[in-house]
Amino acid sequence: MKLSVNTEIALTYLSARKKQTAVAAMGVMFGISMFIFMQSLMKGTNDYFEQQSFNTMPHIHIYSENKLANTHLMDNYLKDSSLKLLVNPKMVPQPTGLINPVGIIEVIKHDSEVVAVTPQVTANVFYNSGNIQLNGVVVGVNIIEENKMFDLKNDMVMGSLDDLEKISNGIVIGKGIADKLSLHVGDIITLAAATGGTQTMRIVGIFSTTIMQTDNSKSYANIAQVQTLLGKNRSYVTDIMVNIKDYNRAPAVAKKLATITGYKAEDWVQANESLKAAFKIRAVILNSVIGVILLVAGFGIYNILNMTIYEKIKEIAILKAIGFSGPSVTSIFLQQAIYIGIMGGIVGIGVGFGLTYMVSRIYIGAGSLKYLPMSFYVPHYIEAVLFGILTTIAAGYFPARKASKVDPVSIIRG
Amino acid sequence: MTDIALKAKGITKYFYDPVKFPALKNIDLEVNKGEFVSIVGKSGCGKSTLLYVLSTMDTDYEGELLINGTMVTGKSLNDLAAIRNGSIGFVFQFHYLLPDFSCLKNVMIPALRLGKLSPKEIEAKAYEKLKMFGVEEQALKKANKLSGGQQQRVAIARALINDPAIIMGDEPTGNLDSKNTGVVFDLFQQLSKEFGQTLVTVTHDEDFAKRSDRIIVMADGEVQSHGR
Ligand SMILES: Nc1ncnc2c1ncn2[C@@H]1O[C@H](COP(=O)(O)OP(=O)(O)O)[C@@H](O)[C@H]1O
Ligand SMILES: [Mg+2]
Repeated sequence: MKLSVNTEIALTYLSARKKQTAVAAMGVMFGISMFIFMQSLMKGTNDYFEQQSFNTMPHIHIYSENKLANTHLMDNYLKDSSLKLLVNPKMVPQPTGLINPVGIIEVIKHDSEVVAVTPQVTANVFYNSGNIQLNGVVVGVNIIEENKMFDLKNDMVMGSLDDLEKISNGIVIGKGIADKLSLHVGDIITLAAATGGTQTMRIVGIFSTTIMQTDNSKSYANIAQVQTLLGKNRSYVTDIMVNIKDYNRAPAVAKKLATITGYKAEDWVQANESLKAAFKIRAVILNSVIGVILLVAGFGIYNILNMTIYEKIKEIAILKAIGFSGPSVTSIFLQQAIYIGIMGGIVGIGVGFGLTYMVSRIYIGAGSLKYLPMSFYVPHYIEAVLFGILTTIAAGYFPARKASKVDPVSIIRG
Repeated sequence: MTDIALKAKGITKYFYDPVKFPALKNIDLEVNKGEFVSIVGKSGCGKSTLLYVLSTMDTDYEGELLINGTMVTGKSLNDLAAIRNGSIGFVFQFHYLLPDFSCLKNVMIPALRLGKLSPKEIEAKAYEKLKMFGVEEQALKKANKLSGGQQQRVAIARALINDPAIIMGDEPTGNLDSKNTGVVFDLFQQLSKEFGQTLVTVTHDEDFAKRSDRIIVMADGEVQSHGR
C-alpha cells in the first residue's frame, strides 16, 4: 500500500510518542463507549416502559366522554346563532355505554392499520370478603382477545388466566386486593356495583404488575358477568381497545377513529404524557453527560497536538524549508488527530458494546423485570462514531492550523 | 530562456530587534546556471540572511528576486514551497534532520513530497546519494543517533535528492573533516560542471572558496566584491 508522505509523517509522529497517543485515544474511547452505553441504557429502559405500558394499555382507547352542553339544535331551529341561549353551559353526562358497539367494532376492524380490537365493560365496584370492603374497578373482557392484545399472562403470579374461559363466574384479581382481603385462588369474592347489583365470583388467578395502584384495585372478569352485574344487556360496552401496526402512528389513527365513531379516541401518547416527559428529561441529562465526556476527550487530543507542535516546531520549519506547504502541514497534524480518533473509536465501540452486554446480563429481578433492559441499536453505534470523528476533527483543527502557520526562517535562524 | 539562475535586484532587509537596522543593504547579485559560487565575509555580515532570502524562505524584504528568470517576489507561500521542493536544495548551517525518521527517510522525504518517482525508485536514489557521502551504512539508523559530521552529510544528500537546479549551503562543510570536505567539494564541482546545477555556498573555509568558480565577498550587509 502506498501511503502519502503526509500520512507517513503523521504516523511516525504518533508512534514516536506512544504513551501520549494512547492516553489521548483512551479519552476518545471513553467518550464513545459511554455514549453507546448511555444511549443503550436510555433506549432500553424507555422501550421497556413503553412496552410495559402496553401490557395494560391499548394503543388507542375509545370511550364515551361527557360533553359540554350546547345549543346547536336550538340555533338550527331558530335559524339564528347570534342569540346567547346558554350563558353558563354545564357538562352534560353521556350514557357510559357506547351506542351500537358491534357496528363500531366492525368498522374499526376494517381499517388497514388496525391489528386488534376488543370491547370492554368497566365498572366501579366494591370487593367484599367477610366484613371487609375494598373499592376498585372490574374490567369485563373477552379473555381470548384481551390476551392477544395485552401481555396479561406475564403478570400472573398465581392461578391461570385461561381458567376465565372455563369458569363463567371466574375472576382474576390484583395481588394487592388478594393480600388485603386475604384471598387465594379458589376462594369466593363478592362484587357490588355502585348501581346496586351484586355478583359472587370465584378467584381463578392473581396478577402482579409493577404498578401498585393497579394491583390494589383492578380485576378481570368475563364481559357477560360484568354486564349482568350492572344489569345491562349483552350489547352493553363501555370501552373499545384498539391496537395498531405501528404504535408511533397512534395519534393520527386515533384522530381518524374519533371522527368515524363520534366518540373520544385517546391514544397512548396522550394517556402517557408524564412518561414521555420523563423520557425527555432523561434524554437531556444523559446527552449533557455525554457532551461533557466528549468535550474532555476533545481537550485530550487538543492537548497532545499542541504539545507535539511545541516540541516539533523546528521540524515543522524544516519540512516547510524543504518544500512542504501550509496545507500539507495542516494535513500532517489533522491526520494525527483523526488516527487518534479512529483508534479510540474502534476500541470505544467494542468497549461500549461489551459494557452494554455485561450490564444487560445483570439480574435485578424486580417484579416482571428480570434483567436491566438494554437496547442494542445500530444507529447508536453510527452516531457514536460520527460524534467521535467530529470531536477529533474539531480538536485537531486548531493546533494543525497553528502548525501550518509556522514561519520557517524565524525558527531556523534561531 | 536565460542563463541566469539567480538574480537579486536591490535586496534590502531590516531587522527590528532590538532596534531597526539593515542586515542587507541594496544587494544586486547574479549567478549563472552551472556556476559554483562561494560567499565569504566576516561573521555577522549578513551571509545567512542573504541566503534565506535567496532560498525564498524569507519573504520579508525589499527588492526583487528572480529564479531561472521567473519573478518569485510576491508569490504565495504555497507556490514558494513548491518552488523550494522542486528547484532548490538547501543545506542548513546546523544540519537539521528530522530526528524521528531514519537517515534514509530523511533523504527520501523531499522526493516523496515531490511525487515524481515511485517510492521504490526514490529509495534506490536516496541510497545512492548516501553512498556518495559514505553514510550508506547509517541509512536505517535514526537521524539523532549519528555524529554531527555524519548528520551533515545526510543533510547534503537530502538537498540533492530532487536534482534541484539550485543548491544552497550555509557552511555545508562546517562540521566536516578535511577529507570529507574534499569529498563534498569534488561532488559540488561535478554537479556544476557535469549536470549544470548551480551552487551557492556560504563558507569560512578559504581553501574551499578559492577552488570554487567565483567568490562573492560581503561586508556589513553589502556586497564588497562580485569576484569578476
Ligand atoms: N532574528 C534576528 N533578529 C535581529 N537581528 C538578527 C537576527 N538574525 C540575524 N541578525 C543580525 O543580522 C546580522 C546578520 O546576521 P547573519 O546573516 O546571521 O550573519 P552571518 O551569517 O554572516 O554570520 C547580524 O548582525 C545579526 O546579529
Ligand atoms: Mg551565518
